[in-house]
Amino acid sequence: MAGAAARGTGCVTLRGAQIRDLLDAKHNVLFDCDGVIWNGETAVTGAPEVVSLLKQRGKRVFFVTNNCTRPRENYVQKFSRLGFTDVAEEEIFSSAYCSAAYLRDVARLQGKVYVIGCGGVMKELRDAGVPVAEEEDAEPGASIYTCPLDPDVKAVLVGYDENFTFMKLAKACCYLRSPECLFLATDPDPWHPLRGGRVTPGSGSLTAALETASSRKATVIGKPSRFMFECISSQFGLDPARSLMIGDRLETDVLFGSNCGLTTVLTLTGVSTLEEALAYRDGQEPQQKDCVPDYVMESVADFLQALEE
Amino acid sequence: MAASKCNVTRLTEALSRQLLDSVDSVLFDCDGVIWRGDQAIPGASEVINSLKKNGKRVFFVTNNSTKTRQMYADKLGKLGFDASADEVFGTAYCSAVYLKNVCKLDGKVYLIGSNAMRQELEDVGIRPVGVGPDPISGGQKDWANVPLDNEVRAVLVGFDEHFSYMKLNRALQYLCYPDCQFVGTNTDTRLPLEGGKAVPGTGCLLKAVETAAQRQAQVVGKPSSFMFECVASQFGLDPERCLMVGDRLDTDIMLGSNCGLKTLLTLTGVSTVAEAEANQKSECPQRQKMVPDYYIESIADILPALQA
Repeated sequence: MAGAAARGTGCVTLRGAQIRDLLDAKHNVLFDCDGVIWNGETAVTGAPEVVSLLKQRGKRVFFVTNNCTRPRENYVQKFSRLGFTDVAEEEIFSSAYCSAAYLRDVARLQGKVYVIGCGGVMKELRDAGVPVAEEEDAEPGASIYTCPLDPDVKAVLVGYDENFTFMKLAKACCYLRSPECLFLATDPDPWHPLRGGRVTPGSGSLTAALETASSRKATVIGKPSRFMFECISSQFGLDPARSLMIGDRLETDVLFGSNCGLTTVLTLTGVSTLEEALAYRDGQEPQQKDCVPDYVMESVADFLQALEE
Repeated sequence: MAASKCNVTRLTEALSRQLLDSVDSVLFDCDGVIWRGDQAIPGASEVINSLKKNGKRVFFVTNNSTKTRQMYADKLGKLGFDASADEVFGTAYCSAVYLKNVCKLDGKVYLIGSNAMRQELEDVGIRPVGVGPDPISGGQKDWANVPLDNEVRAVLVGFDEHFSYMKLNRALQYLCYPDCQFVGTNTDTRLPLEGGKAVPGTGCLLKAVETAAQRQAQVVGKPSSFMFECVASQFGLDPERCLMVGDRLDTDIMLGSNCGLKTLLTLTGVSTVAEAEANQKSECPQRQKMVPDYYIESIADILPALQA
């Protein structure tokens, strides 16, 4: 149960009857995506069946991802492409969607948002009706003195952006000089895994640059912050005690689960290893305890046996 | 020692004379001390030139990586300062020396930085790759597979107006190799510009690379003692006979404390007396290193003592 790690336990390997008991006790199952149900363009073997069977058993299934590169409708297509049937847009919570929801519903933004981000974020903001400051194409010879600032900008949102430049950093920093200007980041991930153990810089690295430039800390929407859970809960009414979080990254998924009072499961098909989980459990730092998963399983396919009975 | 005083000591004319007699060399930070952007601080050139006439050696120690020593000498000359390139220690030059002598770099360096940095590296016989614009191309799958130069043995990060996601990505790919060394010119968060404005500094770019790579860079610039060691080793300086003059408590004064120099804070730049006094009152040993021996409104105020 949630809090097992605080008692010095955690990292329990789930087997047989334990899996069935765990599923019986939970009504809501939250899955991270990358490294849990798929890796790149390949579904984790058994994952589509697990999702399908959970729904047949009457469980509510949600997908909670820090990946802000796609709008939700693209995710629906990806699910379909990879063999997951009946995944609805409403079940998908990405940091891009939740950042837009935050600006619209929590911040109730009166004004525009200056975005360092990619197409996925822009689309979610547009769909949520949040006005985005237009990025004028840099003219040759444009410098930080001459590029105009939009007086309607009341928030800065930073996320993964393959078109990140020094100029964007400088502009965002100018907007953030005003204390009333909100400072949001889609997610804290310093790097993202690609196929074959390779990595690419993540939102966290761009956020770090902007925090350093502005001497301000961003409000982070994505895991491990609670907001994505609150976003789901505001739409679906989730009881944390009856919710299970399944992820592959200790510092985001498991910590997110701990922060929200959920039971946490680490799957070993992604970033974090059992050794790392044990190191957090057996280490001295109190704050590391929140990164210790209650349970560990090789892959989400381990749920199949319990579900097929 | 500074800690035993109740307040940070103002440098009066009498104290100036005493202080100057006790040192042979004076090291000046540049931005906020002898100039602001492209404007000299009034009286600064007279002070520097007068110090030299009085037989003191003068050096310029700056974290700014956008100019070579020669470019600094040219700027100093234009503003009326009697100075030569070998008296200037900027991080473009010092990083090159660091890579050569401390890292003992045998191979190329992937450089996020300026043409000035490229030139200083080439002058010590190190070949940099990567300078200039580097726009994104291809898709996410391609980025982890960008062609890497297999002679690169270090990544060096300095100020770069062409900083981009692609450069960040390339640096990350190189730094995934644990044997690849990782050096940064400085951690200043703002870069002062001509005309008195400021933009995000090298510290921001370095933080982005450190975060992506989950590695810490070796930092060359103040307050790291390497900058002083660079000057001292070339000119045979005795720390006890050196004065560091700067406007930033966290770089200039801390460097002075780290190296056992006398320190003088000038108020024409970033830090204030209130900040210095707060550091002095704090219990924290790190903050105690950011308390100057003396402060002065502007270095021009030293002139009477020099001309006496």
